[in-house]
Amino acid sequence: MHVIVATDGSRASLVGAEQFQWIADSREITDVTVVAVVSPYAAVPFANELTERRNPQPTDFSFREEAEAAVGVVAAVFHGWGPTVHRQVRSGSPAAEIVKAAEEASADLIALAAGGRGLTSTILLGSTASRVQHSAPCPVLVCRPKRSASS
Amino acid sequence: MSHPGTEGVLAPSELKRSITARQLYFYVVGDVLGSGIYVLIGLVAAAVGGAFWMAFLAGVAVATITGLAYAELVTKYPQAAGASLYVNKAFRSPVLTFFVTICMLSANMAAVGSLASGFVRYFAGVVGMSEDAVIPTLLIALAFITLITVINLIGISESVVANVVMTFIELSGLLLIMVIGVIALFTGVSEPGVLLEFSGEGSKAVAVLAGVSLAFFAMTGFENAANVAEETVDPSRAFPRALIGGMLTAGTVYVLVSIAAALAVPMDTLADNTLLEVVRADLLPISVSVMLVVFGLIAMVAISNTTLVTVVAQSRILYGMAREDVVPGVFAKVHPTRRSPYVALLFGGAIVGGLLLIGALIQLGGSDLDIVDRLATITVVFLLFIYALVIVACLKLRGTGETPDTYRANTALLYLGILGNLLVLGYTVVDDPGSLLWVAGLLAVGLVLFLVQRFNGGARDRPSTDGPTATAGTPNTDEGR
Repeated sequence: MHVIVATDGSRASLVGAEQFQWIADSREITDVTVVAVVSPYAAVPFANELTERRNPQPTDFSFREEAEAAVGVVAAVFHGWGPTVHRQVRSGSPAAEIVKAAEEASADLIALAAGGRGLTSTILLGSTASRVQHSAPCPVLVCRPKRSASS
Repeated sequence: MSHPGTEGVLAPSELKRSITARQLYFYVVGDVLGSGIYVLIGLVAAAVGGAFWMAFLAGVAVATITGLAYAELVTKYPQAAGASLYVNKAFRSPVLTFFVTICMLSANMAAVGSLASGFVRYFAGVVGMSEDAVIPTLLIALAFITLITVINLIGISESVVANVVMTFIELSGLLLIMVIGVIALFTGVSEPGVLLEFSGEGSKAVAVLAGVSLAFFAMTGFENAANVAEETVDPSRAFPRALIGGMLTAGTVYVLVSIAAALAVPMDTLADNTLLEVVRADLLPISVSVMLVVFGLIAMVAISNTTLVTVVAQSRILYGMAREDVVPGVFAKVHPTRRSPYVALLFGGAIVGGLLLIGALIQLGGSDLDIVDRLATITVVFLLFIYALVIVACLKLRGTGETPDTYRANTALLYLGILGNLLVLGYTVVDDPGSLLWVAGLLAVGLVLFLVQRFNGGARDRPSTDGPTATAGTPNTDEGR
């Protein structure tokens, strides 16, 4: 069984990956692909909240490397768990690229986190998660941060 | 925290890029086209006279040479930081790098202000409002800035398709002007001789130079292409073609549009007005009132598109600087679901609003300040300085980081480009020394951010001697909450 674990660089996505691991049975899972999507035209193409500043020179800043670093942090969740861990940084519209990644890998499950908390996230519902649910080629596990874990 | 390279079984990271040469081309054309000609044509016409197409031609030439330097540097260093990165690579001076970054940020803010004021002129033209009422125009400009900020907060302008559609809308308006120009030529509305007339007394070269600095504003925006360098497929082939192709397309359109406008409308009508005057000349077999609304809407879409991209670039610079601890980490805050840098966006909107407010106060004080002109001039002052420095950086970095794929710009042209940028910069500053006060004001904002970071952050040391903030490291405020 191949599982796509998506991260948008948020802490919620890291918690989501941990929740997925807690729910899933590693004996059934052969591969985990951690995917991040860089959106080139967005104000912030990838917002990595999982690592601190990493560059010696301020001008070395790279959104792609931010995405790779976040993928690295989330992939570390599955360290020593069993399945082969793949990392992938894609480019484009987040929801569409997560679905494509699942299609390319013939994935059996997509695990991702749905947004943060508070009023704005209720109104502007985590659109990536809901779009992925609409067009995914396989089951989708949407993780939400537990209230106690998120404060 | 660093890269956890310790997974038990680990497949190598895969990279997938998404932007093709064609998409990049449309990005450049769309970004360049919306900015200037819709907003500035009347000002350039007033400065030069009937021959103002020459000012656009000269502006296009200088900008395109700068584009060559960008193309070379982007293929060598395909990273997001653009001018700051090149200057840092070439001069290794943290202070200069920080200064260039702040200049770029300031240029973007002034450009957004100018675009917003230009938007108001078309809005006023469509709804039939007076442009001279200071308070209503200020309120509409502020509403426009608010709308653009909200759109970026929600993040709905990010699709590639939307970008291409917007570019075609921008082009359609300018094609319309060209059609009117052709009709004007064949119906003999005016003499083609107007194209060689200069309004001012004195030398023709100075008259053209007077228009160039404003016409130059119309070509800005191409440097934003470096923003998407990382995500471009095969950048060393795609970039030179898309960047130079896009700029030449925009430049050709500009020259043709300015010729068309000069043919269709008497110079004293066009001077200090918008392209709406060309439509008002009533040369098309369609009702003028309908065409005015249609063209006004096209112009507003065009200006909005460029403003959106400029605001994105501006919030990105702030976000990147915050992530690298150059300015306070609060600017790296992103909305939990929309993933937009809301602090950077709101701050940028506030500064632009402040610029417009100051402009309105000066106008209320009885000055005949033209806020579009002033803010465009400030943008151009910042950008000419940056562009000249980028070309110098390009020459200085010759021989390092080159691969067989690296695009190489013509060296003689690059020297000409430095001269061109400095000449226009010199003229602009001498012609409008008042703009330097605004320039200093915007630089002061950058300095304040830097000092806040330096004195608030202080405690934690960064490894060794790096950037301007080597001693100003602070944990990102986003982290560890």
